[in-house]
Amino acid sequence: MNIGGVHLTRIGSGDMLLEPTRALDISDAGALLDSILACLQRERSLRLYYDLAELAVIDAAYFAWLEALARACGAINVRMVCIHMQPTAAFGLASLLRDSPAFETALDMQSRHGEP
Amino acid sequence: MPKSKAPANQTLIEQLKLQVGNISTRIEAQGRNVFGDSNVMSTDEITDFSIEFLELMVTLLDSDDPLDHHRPAFRALQTFFGNISKQILVRGGRMEDFVRYMQFLQRCFIESLGADEQVSPEDMRAILLLLSSVFNELMLAVFQTYLEEKERTIDAQQRELRETSTPITEIWDGVLTLPIIGTLDSSRTLLIMESLLNRISSERAHAVVMDVTGVHTVDSQVSHHMIQMVRAIQLMGATAILTGIRPEIARAMTSLNIDLGNVTTRATLSDGLKEAFRLLGIAVTKA
Repeated sequence: MNIGGVHLTRIGSGDMLLEPTRALDISDAGALLDSILACLQRERSLRLYYDLAELAVIDAAYFAWLEALARACGAINVRMVCIHMQPTAAFGLASLLRDSPAFETALDMQSRHGEP
Repeated sequence: MPKSKAPANQTLIEQLKLQVGNISTRIEAQGRNVFGDSNVMSTDEITDFSIEFLELMVTLLDSDDPLDHHRPAFRALQTFFGNISKQILVRGGRMEDFVRYMQFLQRCFIESLGADEQVSPEDMRAILLLLSSVFNELMLAVFQTYLEEKERTIDAQQRELRETSTPITEIWDGVLTLPIIGTLDSSRTLLIMESLLNRISSERAHAVVMDVTGVHTVDSQVSHHMIQMVRAIQLMGATAILTGIRPEIARAMTSLNIDLGNVTTRATLSDGLKEAFRLLGIAVTKA
């Protein structure tokens, strides 16, 4: 299903995959969060995989969006796992971070670190 | 209207043309004497050098203003000497020998003038000034080349040293090891992080064992770089295991208020590997 700039796919019992598209506008994060969370609840999701494969750089604004989504997911008992983070993005984000991020990270969906 | 050439230049050109055979023979003989034994330049190369040098010198003196460093004739001579000095350096020759050879070239010109009684003292003075100015510039060009080559060599050596001092090895499928020896400054951290993160991505590594047994001192900057590396590894979705933290390093980190709460640590590299294998569900048993 498509929600303003993100593509959400059910990939198994309780798992959803979120793929951001170029049309994603994080300046309107509030409305976007509502739509994503509503979808996650409708699908009775327990885990959301956020695919970062297409993002070469994660800046402070995008990181704030990821944090907000992860915290909101936590509030409805959904774990958010960011996958496929690019080396360049990890490199830049590591210097930006002061604490551990609100989301989990895994190499990919098959990675055992993403398992509960 | 084109400028007429100075009489001193004209005299020098005439002398050069008159005595080109003699000068060329002397230059070649000295070249063989200086470079021949060390195989820095072959006999043919010395001959070519002598011919090309004299041709370029005549072209320069024939130009409107031989002392104008921006003129093509001067540039050509500078480039010629720059290339020769680069070649000598690459072949292991000594720059000092080449500079002395250049001084000899200058002396050859001056001595060839001395033999001619028709050259007036004014012309002689002007020619000496001209020659010393030209050769000083050429020597500067040679030293510039020498410094550039040295800097390039030092850069290459430093790069090689950095790469070999942080070998990233895939010790098992999905397990990378990174022994860190010495100190971690910003440039080295960036280099390690860049290659490490790319390796995590390409090898699909699930665990990285960073061994700091070879790190003897730690300050706030070093510990900050270590934490930054651990964070980047975790962001990629891999697990960072820090091993070999010496007691004095642990004490220093505590006093620096460095929190290793989110970092998996083990006493030795061997323990770190065991932890990595445990995370991946690998059991290593005796055959």
